[in-house]
Formats: sequence, structure tokens, C-alpha cells
Amino acid sequence: MKKNIKIITKHWGKINPLRIEEYLKEGGYKALEKFIFQMRPEEAIQEIEASNLCGRGGAGFPTGKKLKMVAERKEKEKYFICNLDESEPGTYKDRMIVKNNPQLLLEGLIISALTVGASKAFIYLNGNYEEEKYILEKALAQAEKEKFLGEKILSSGYNLELKLFFGAGAYICGEETALINSIEGKRGEPRMRPPYPTEKGLWEKPTAVNNAETIANIPWIILEGGKKFATIGAECSPGTKLYILSGAINNPGVFEAPTGITVRQLIKEIGGGIPKGKKFWFAQIGGASGVLAIGKDLDAELTFSKNCLIPLGSGSVLVIDKSVEIYDLLFSWSDFFRRESCGKCLPCREGTFRLNEIIQRFEDGKISQRDKKALGQILWSLENTAFCPFGKFVAKPFQDALERLDIFKNV
Amino acid sequence: MKTTEKILLNYDPEKENLLPVLKEISSFFGFISEKNAQKIADYFSLSLSQIFETASFYDFLKVKNSPQIFIKICSGTVCATIGTRKIIKEIENKLKIKIGDDFNPRIKLETASCLGHCGEGPIVIVNGQVYKKVTVSSIHEILEKYV
Repeated sequence: MKKNIKIITKHWGKINPLRIEEYLKEGGYKALEKFIFQMRPEEAIQEIEASNLCGRGGAGFPTGKKLKMVAERKEKEKYFICNLDESEPGTYKDRMIVKNNPQLLLEGLIISALTVGASKAFIYLNGNYEEEKYILEKALAQAEKEKFLGEKILSSGYNLELKLFFGAGAYICGEETALINSIEGKRGEPRMRPPYPTEKGLWEKPTAVNNAETIANIPWIILEGGKKFATIGAECSPGTKLYILSGAINNPGVFEAPTGITVRQLIKEIGGGIPKGKKFWFAQIGGASGVLAIGKDLDAELTFSKNCLIPLGSGSVLVIDKSVEIYDLLFSWSDFFRRESCGKCLPCREGTFRLNEIIQRFEDGKISQRDKKALGQILWSLENTAFCPFGKFVAKPFQDALERLDIFKNV
Repeated sequence: MKTTEKILLNYDPEKENLLPVLKEISSFFGFISEKNAQKIADYFSLSLSQIFETASFYDFLKVKNSPQIFIKICSGTVCATIGTRKIIKEIENKLKIKIGDDFNPRIKLETASCLGHCGEGPIVIVNGQVYKKVTVSSIHEILEKYV
């Protein structure tokens, strides 16, 4: 495994995010030039397919396949959306991409949008990200001035209109169909699938929705080739990934490392280990909806593959030591999910509400046998009957807490 | 003087502008009144119910005037592990309210997820003023200023 390869974080801290000139000096927008003057869109998609790049938002859908599906549609109007509605608690990787190198994101976004033949692209930005909005607005204006955006990009036949769309504080809008509904001015509730957004997305037109981190990988793939990308990291989902380390760890923050790394390596080698005097209990991988990795899972490789023991999710790693009270965490999760459930389907609307009630009783020490039984049933229905993946997300940490941490031991 | 009409005229009456318009009006007036909602509906050629359908969904859009004392407390994972629960209990006991309910029209206590100050938690926000590193004892001093 090649280590220390930097794709996204290569220029972080070395360039001023507010000045496009510094990015250009470092070889920025070379990938866009290569794409426009030396490649046809199909060739670019072939490169991306060969790279085996998969979606970095958590689901891990192959990016090349998604772009191809949209590119092959015959409709004239197509859209491309960059999903920057990052609202998973403890996840701020996309925010760091914008803060450190917005032009890399824009370059990837322009190339991706042009490969699928979209004439209009959106960046859906989390409503809380005021500072990032300012940076992106500036970056957009500069890119337009340099003719990387707008009509006749670099004097070629390509046109692209890019619009910044600001969210209004809803976690569920990170789900692609809910995000599309939100842009259309509707309630941000997920849609029935199929039809998938690649067939009927924004305004019923084919739409590709990609995570910001996925998009930031595109320029490198275009320049260096898909085959080279496929050799980095784990075989099933190659490339590098941004990991967010937090909790009981010596250096918290965002770090880039290849996929297929183990939790132990992340904590020890990158995070600098656990502070003195604290004892590792478990780590939650992938935000509030992530799985809980206890001692024996620490050597499992983190990938996006469905077969792997610990899915990578959004890439956040929250290390919990033994001094933390489990009620505090259970309360935080259940309260978060109750608030953010969109209310479209019954299992999720009622399930998250009752879950929160039970957890509150649990904290007060008044949990009954009936509650314990109900808890199992609620989690089952959330996992199996909820309309969108949100239900599964809710069930996951609670199921893990029940199975792996034995939280009812003292009740 | 900014009026609803002036805000509306900054945008084209296309549906993708609905959410930005609602956000601007909600933050400017504090909430979206029925009168303003009707004006927005007319401008976008939508029905009043469609406007409220969207407006009632998002956290940033308010359809009711906010109470005199509006307390938000962060229950994100980081804040929760360092004492959010105890502070909530303390506020509930002091102000005789329950978290999340609307029974007291003057005071409202709500939880919010991560507010982005993870290193300095627990975070309490009272009427937009952010208080960091709140403790069970310091919350009393903070609330005294408002009650």
C-alpha cells in the first residue's frame, strides 16, 4: 500500500484559498485544459470508470457508472449537483476542502458537469456554512473571470452555468432526492425510487448528484489516469479518503490517507494515540449514524464495500474512552434523529420519537421490561420498513450499542 | 426601508428561488407572517398552502413569532459527553419548562445539533447570544440576565 499520497490535501495550507492565481501557479486547472483540448467526454468517463472511484458521501456508489448513466440519457437539459450539505455531527471534511482549496473543488465540478453534458450545475451548501459561502462566492467569481466558467469555457464550445444554493438547516437534505426537492422549493423529503435521479432528477431531468470529496478527486484522475488511481488503497474502493478524527485522541482534525486503513492505524499513526490516563472503549465510524467498533474490530480494513465489517461512511472517527457515560451518547443520538426525521414515513417519525422517550426513561433509571422489548421492535421496524436510508442510519448505532456494549447490564 | 416587495423583486419568480426568498424574509422579519406568505405565493404563482408546506419544514424558516426568551442548547455528541444533559435539567427546573414544548408562550427551550464550536462546549444560545463552556452553576447567572 502506498502511503503519504496526497490527492485532495496536496495544496492545503500552501495556497491562499481566496486567490486563484496561487492555485494556477501550482498547476491548477491543467486537468480542465487537458479535458477540453485533448479528450472527449466519453474518454473522460472511461478514465473515471477505470479508476473505480466510488462516492465519498457514504453510500459508495461507483462514480463513473453514475456519470455514464446521466451522460447516456438523450434529454437536452441535464443537471449536475455538488452535495455540500454536510450536516452529520462530527463531520467537516467537505468544509475543509472549501476552506483550503475551493478551486480544486470547482475544477472537479466543472469537469464532471461537462462530461455528463450538463448546462447548469449547482453547489448545495449547508445553511450553517457562512464562511464557506463567502469563500465559494469569491472563488466562483474568480473562476468566471479566468474563463473556466460561463459561456465558451477557455474559448471552446462548452458552456456551464454554476449556481450556489444555500440550504436551510435540514439534515435529510443530504439525501440526494431530498436535496433535489429542496432546490425545487419543496419540503426536503426523499422521493420514491425508482425513478432514480439519473433518470428523473431536478425538474424531472437527468441529474447527477455527487459528494464534494468525490468531485475533488476528479482533476487528479484526469491528469494522472484512472489506472494509477486504482492502485491506491483498498482494491474494492481505491483512492484516498479524508478521515476526521475527534474525541479522545491526541491530534484531532482532518487527515488524508488511503482507503483500506485500519482503525488502529488511524488512531495510533495518524491521530497520535489516545491521551494518557484514558482507556479506549470504542470508536464510532462515520458520524452519528455510524457503526461502533470495539476492541476486536480495530484491525478490520475500512472500505466502502458492502462486505466489509466496518463500512467507512463519511469517514469520521469518534474515539470514546471509558470515562464517557453511555447515556450521554444515547441521548445525543436519539435527540438528533428525532429532530431531523423529516416525518414523511411512520416508522421513522414515530420510531425516532419513541426511541428518544425510552432513552430519556433509561437515563432516569425508570426503564421497564416493556421498554426493552419495544426498543428491539422499534429498531427492527426502523431498519426494515423506513422509506429512506435514514431509518437504517438511526437503527445502526443503537443496535451496535445493544449488541456490542451490553448497555442493559446494570438495569 | 426594505419591504417584502423589494426583497421579492431581487429574485426571478422561479421555483428554485423560493427557498432563498423564504429565508431572507424569515430572517429579516423574524418569521414569515400569513400576509407575507400570501405576497410570496402571488409572486411565485403558487398557493398559500404550498408556501407554508415548504416554510414549516426547514429549521431556518419560522412561521411563528419567536418567544421572548429562546434558549438553544447543543446536544451534539461532543457537547453531550461533557454535560448537556445536566444543564438541560437545571434549566428545566429553574424556569419550570420542559424541553421542546410550547406551553409557555414566553420561554422556549430547544436542543440543536452541532453548532460548530465543538472545542468550547457545552454551548448554550439565548436569543442569538452564544455562551461557551457553560456549567451547571454558570447557567444560573446567564438566565438571570433574561428572566
